[in-house]
Amino acid sequence: MAETNTNEEQKAKRIRPPESGAPFNAVEDIIYRRRSVRFYLEKQVPEYLLRRILEAGRFAPSAGNAQTWKFIVVQDRKMIGEMEEQILNVCKRVKKFADYTGAGNKHKEWLAKLLMRFMPNSFHPFPLAAMKVMAEGNLSPWHGAPTVIILLADRRSPGNPSLDVGIAGQNMVLAAHSFGLGTCWVSFVTPLAMYSKWRKRLGIRYPYTLVTSIAVGYPRGIPDGYVTRETHAIDWFCEDGTFKVVY
Amino acid sequence: MPEYLRWKDRIKIESFNKLGEDFVLGVVDIDQDTCSGCGLCVPACMPRSIEMVNKKARMVKDLPLCMDCGDCVAICPEKSIKVTRFVELKRAFRFLDRGKPEPPRRF
Repeated sequence: MAETNTNEEQKAKRIRPPESGAPFNAVEDIIYRRRSVRFYLEKQVPEYLLRRILEAGRFAPSAGNAQTWKFIVVQDRKMIGEMEEQILNVCKRVKKFADYTGAGNKHKEWLAKLLMRFMPNSFHPFPLAAMKVMAEGNLSPWHGAPTVIILLADRRSPGNPSLDVGIAGQNMVLAAHSFGLGTCWVSFVTPLAMYSKWRKRLGIRYPYTLVTSIAVGYPRGIPDGYVTRETHAIDWFCEDGTFKVVY
Repeated sequence: MPEYLRWKDRIKIESFNKLGEDFVLGVVDIDQDTCSGCGLCVPACMPRSIEMVNKKARMVKDLPLCMDCGDCVAICPEKSIKVTRFVELKRAFRFLDRGKPEPPRRF
């Protein structure tokens, strides 16, 4: 009798797939409406909401269930300001030797091109442009968010630790957006690991490496909404052995 | 099957630095009639390529670094912003099939 009961309970818990063309469910809606927020209110995020967000990150999948992440929550505005100052210094330095746009900077082009060739991700035109805007004082790394979550990875863990940290981070971001908060992924935190002062202060020591950070706060306005994105070509190897490309 | 580049071809690709030819940036179209001048899109734009002129938003004239993120489209309460041109990194991306821009679809 007990067994049949549990079976029925399990059947009731089973999630049915939606019909073709059915409206988005709550999870899909959060995923599609999530926009990076770059304009925050001064209001601080309460602790219970942050604990709920961190809890969502704790239950993310990871390789070998290694749970390779470590989260650092920074709500101290003075400390965030000091970190931003440090990052701005780095940006100014990078701008000095790698900014080849504008008048009188033509002689730096060869170096910028060389850096782009060997470090295509760090010296992609987009981060370079962001660093230029930051160095000119028009942009702050965390966009004035009251809370910053810094994500560290354990470098001894199996597989791809930074990917696992990314999965945990995305869980937290989606949870935060479902509470009406705004978030933004900010990887400009990584230069901090170059300074022993910040390594000591943030506790980035042996098994841990700095991966990325997330700014959390209440958004100004209603930034969440649908946008258009490119439908990247998907290669599809069909069941009957044929090949097609879908969009 | 899509065509991929060999390293011999890859090494010939220059880094993107010819703006307008190899590296086309995004463009947003702001409807000047429906814009209410609330100014929310200005700080929402990370590369700071929207400015307020006479209580109406418009793209900056001097090298707007728009990356078609759509944050301004999503935040606009009047729905008067539209992305009209998307970022194209032509040299490096010409062999990739990135499809056409579309909103979230239901299948």
